Amino acid sequence: MIRYLARRLLALVPVALGVVTLTFALIHLVPGDPVSAMLGDYAAPADVAQMRHALGLDRPIGQQYIGFLYGLAHGDLGQSISQHEPVARLISERFPATLELTAAGLLAALLIAFPLGLIAGANPGGAGDLGAMGFAILGISVPHLYLGPLLMIVFSLDLGWLPLTGRGGLAHLVLPAITLGTALAAIVARMLRQSLVQVVGADYMRTARSKGLSRRAALIRHGLRNALTPVITLIGLEAGALLTGSIITEMIFSWPGLGRLLITAINNRDYPLVEGCVLTFALSYVIVNLVTDFLYRAADPRIRLE
Amino acid sequence: METVAGGGRQAARRRACARAALAAWCAITCGACVKPAPATPSGYLQVDINTSPAALDPRIAADAISERVAELIYDSLVRIGRDGNFYGDLAASIERPSPVEIIFHLRHGVRFSDGRPLTARDVKYTYDSVLDPAIQSIKRAGLVELATLRAADDYTIVMTTRRPYAPALAMAMLGVVPANTPAPGAGAAIAPAGSGPFALADFRRDETVTLARNVFNAYPAGGVPGIVFKIVPNATVRALELAEGICDFTENDGVQPELIPYLAAKPDLTIVKSPGTTYQYLIFNFRDARLRDPRVRQAIAYAIDREAIVASLLRGNARVATGMLAPEDWAYDGAVTRYPYDPDRARALLEAAGYDARARPLRLVYKTTPEGSRLAQAIQAMLRRVGVAVDIHINEFATFYSDLRNGNFDLAASQWVGVGDPHQYYAIFDSRMTPAHGGNNRGDYANPRMDQLAEQGDATLDPAARRAIYGAVQQLAADDLPYVSLWWIDNVAAYNRRLAGFAPYPNGSLLSLATAAYHAPRGPRRSAQ
Amino acid sequence: MNSIRRNPSLAAGGTLVALLAAIAIFGPLLVRANPDAIDLPHALAGPGARHWLGCDSLGRDMLARIVWGARLSLGVATAVAAISLSIGTLIGGGAALAGGRVDNLVMRAIDVVLAFPGFLLAIALAAILGPGLADLVVALTAMGWTGYARLVRGEILSLREREYVEAARALGARPSRLLIRHLLPGIAGPVAVQATFGVGGIIIAEAALSFLGLGARPPAPTWGNMLEAGQAFILVAPHLTTAPGVAIGLSVLGFNLLGDGLAQLIGRRR
Repeated sequence: MIRYLARRLLALVPVALGVVTLTFALIHLVPGDPVSAMLGDYAAPADVAQMRHALGLDRPIGQQYIGFLYGLAHGDLGQSISQHEPVARLISERFPATLELTAAGLLAALLIAFPLGLIAGANPGGAGDLGAMGFAILGISVPHLYLGPLLMIVFSLDLGWLPLTGRGGLAHLVLPAITLGTALAAIVARMLRQSLVQVVGADYMRTARSKGLSRRAALIRHGLRNALTPVITLIGLEAGALLTGSIITEMIFSWPGLGRLLITAINNRDYPLVEGCVLTFALSYVIVNLVTDFLYRAADPRIRLE
Repeated sequence: METVAGGGRQAARRRACARAALAAWCAITCGACVKPAPATPSGYLQVDINTSPAALDPRIAADAISERVAELIYDSLVRIGRDGNFYGDLAASIERPSPVEIIFHLRHGVRFSDGRPLTARDVKYTYDSVLDPAIQSIKRAGLVELATLRAADDYTIVMTTRRPYAPALAMAMLGVVPANTPAPGAGAAIAPAGSGPFALADFRRDETVTLARNVFNAYPAGGVPGIVFKIVPNATVRALELAEGICDFTENDGVQPELIPYLAAKPDLTIVKSPGTTYQYLIFNFRDARLRDPRVRQAIAYAIDREAIVASLLRGNARVATGMLAPEDWAYDGAVTRYPYDPDRARALLEAAGYDARARPLRLVYKTTPEGSRLAQAIQAMLRRVGVAVDIHINEFATFYSDLRNGNFDLAASQWVGVGDPHQYYAIFDSRMTPAHGGNNRGDYANPRMDQLAEQGDATLDPAARRAIYGAVQQLAADDLPYVSLWWIDNVAAYNRRLAGFAPYPNGSLLSLATAAYHAPRGPRRSAQ
Repeated sequence: MNSIRRNPSLAAGGTLVALLAAIAIFGPLLVRANPDAIDLPHALAGPGARHWLGCDSLGRDMLARIVWGARLSLGVATAVAAISLSIGTLIGGGAALAGGRVDNLVMRAIDVVLAFPGFLLAIALAAILGPGLADLVVALTAMGWTGYARLVRGEILSLREREYVEAARALGARPSRLLIRHLLPGIAGPVAVQATFGVGGIIIAEAALSFLGLGARPPAPTWGNMLEAGQAFILVAPHLTTAPGVAIGLSVLGFNLLGDGLAQLIGRRR
């Protein structure tokens, strides 16, 4: 178990290295540079040169890359060029908001998906199945940027139940979470239905029924357990989409998260901040996958933690 | 688990491990929830803005929204007035004893928000700080003509310029911070104390900027006790917040023209439109041989139906421009060549110039904004009608800006915001002021006559003579057409009727919010449910 | 009739997709209005007799743009799905067959791509290649191939252990023959299902990229561009977002139903 964990954590290193290298290459390939974005229209050439030097941007690109890796290896993400603050501080200010949003999105997805999946799977082909799956397929089909404003208009303006935008208490979280979670909810609900349909005819179901378990109890007990592993795997796979979706959701709901920080950083060509944000996103993705992997193995005893 | 063979011990261990993983996940997610919600103090005015200020320290604050907010926190020696002229702010009076010397006599009794009195020492410190290369201030470039600045006594500042320099007062617009304020950056205050009407109370990047009254600066009875700037990137959401009374005030970039009819229909809102100085233009790149032919530039100017674009796309919230300076400017001269919409004339000019309609399409660069995209497409369609093919390149700002500075365009649409003193002509049209030389002549336009006039304009102190020089500059610019003047964007402010006393500035300044007051007390906010 | 009852998803999805394909292929021949012709006085005009779906902010006919947009958006989506599928199959299949270190390397590379925020790649490509359809296809493909690679690799690894493949190998079948005769037919089903779902996902991704200003170059009428451009008018002219929103929704619905139906079909055959 410990050995497995160590190996998995060690495997993070090459992935992180790959991500930061790719980011470094891309952001330096893109036209535009942080100095002209910062010093603006009237900067004297001497000032530009001086600032480029101060930021180390006049060094050969390879040297800059090595310098960056050296800092990273020492846990130093560097200093944001445009915001005059350490990158680590900026990220730690914003990351909780993104985490809160994605966690809430995930929770919303599961809360929507489970009843839908159960209704559909309990009676395949029935009216409930048709309705629930129709709803699920609609959920996949609606883009975030269409759903978000729609929810705002209905639940905030017309009904006045929830706040419009911004980050605050639980109430602020509801609409962004639903916007973010709906697509995942639809996918999970379908997966759930499929798992339930599969167990309905399985031997152990008959055994359970013969032991006197009611149909519903047996279905929930065995069906859900059977569905657990694919759903966990799915969450791992969809974590990336959830994180990307969070960026758009942040824009719509004025949510002060990492996605908007990253977009600002890209627009300012704030190299260290872009690196830091991308690394954070990438590590979150990898860690979510690690966690889902553990849950998956824990839920399915046939797989051993080697 | 009973369906699969396996020791109970193993299963228990697995269950424990699953529980541990779940617990860790919950700990991470719940840790995120402890941050308290930003509370809007009661009675504060909520102003929705579209982007976060990048920096509020006046020594480095440069983007439009940062300057707007910083202006409410800091005073400067002079401010620009509604007519584009300079007026004393910290300076009670200004003397110009010689062409290169300006003396500012400071007001007495001015205090920073931390209670310290503001003296000439603080002014001197602020300028030294900006000039210090280590601070890497964007504002240093604006002070190149400054020779010396000294504090003659506690209330007298003497500034000298390197040569007789007419726009010298533009250098006296730096917001003043207290002496010995640390350099901006890690560990330093986001906004040091200022002597303006407000002081920074709270700063949450991309979320809210809260200003409270500077208690050492007298304020009118009933005046707003503070301002919360809320960053709301989505234009529709800003309009909804305004309509719902969550937000009290928003202006210019905050209100998109297409939403004005919606807002105007709300009985609680006041919409104030006033002439603005933001000048939008289309710049030609003279490096392209086709565009060096004046007939081609004229044809393009004639082919763009600016009246129609203003009427429909901009919903009438702009005035068709004749040049950079708006009619409100003291140096404005409207007696220049104009290019009314005339597609036939455009075609004739193109034919005379031998313009090949099948040649490589012109590259039109625009920055990524919804309205930028619409304007680019309208211009593209209009030019296509006269036989000029255009490719649109819409990029996010940094790429757009890089293209602009590196001459990687044939046509580019851009704007000058807050145009005041006409000395800007030197930086944009003088042939030596290319981006590589710290200027903004991005299209490589060169005319010796323009160079001579622009340099004269900077060095002439007599206002009447200066006005004549800039009259000639405006006429020459309209004839030579380094830019097609598009329009001056109006200032539009939309605010709740409760608010009284807002008075717009042509450059969009929010200074009058310092003296604005509520008709009726600010009720509880809906968002505070 | 019986088959429709047995597999309604396939029937409904197939019909919807066929209809969309017909619109994409023949629609532009039928609408007379030029999708790029601006008519400023008619800007934001609502649906009416002359313009069935109304006009956009530049007075362009929405119906013409939706129909031409079908060609672009569905074209981009199918192209991206096809290219991603080919690349993913090659890489995933290659990794599975080669095994060992190559397999490990490929899996790590996939981890990197999956962990990388896709829109950063899109921004970079847009800036380097210039925004446009080509850039869109490259960016979406760069993000999309990993799913197929993982799927194909997994399928091949599990197929290899199957009895009939084992048997063929034991009988001395050459690897290429093994691949063509036994493995490819085995993975074709699941890959087709994933690709069908994928098309829907790509249509949505295109809209998301447009929202970030990275879509096709204007005035190209992709549905994503149209949805993004209509956002600003949602309060004053909702028909600007309704039309592309519904078009996107119906297409995703169609491809998802078709995917469901295909999955059911394959599941039954197996």
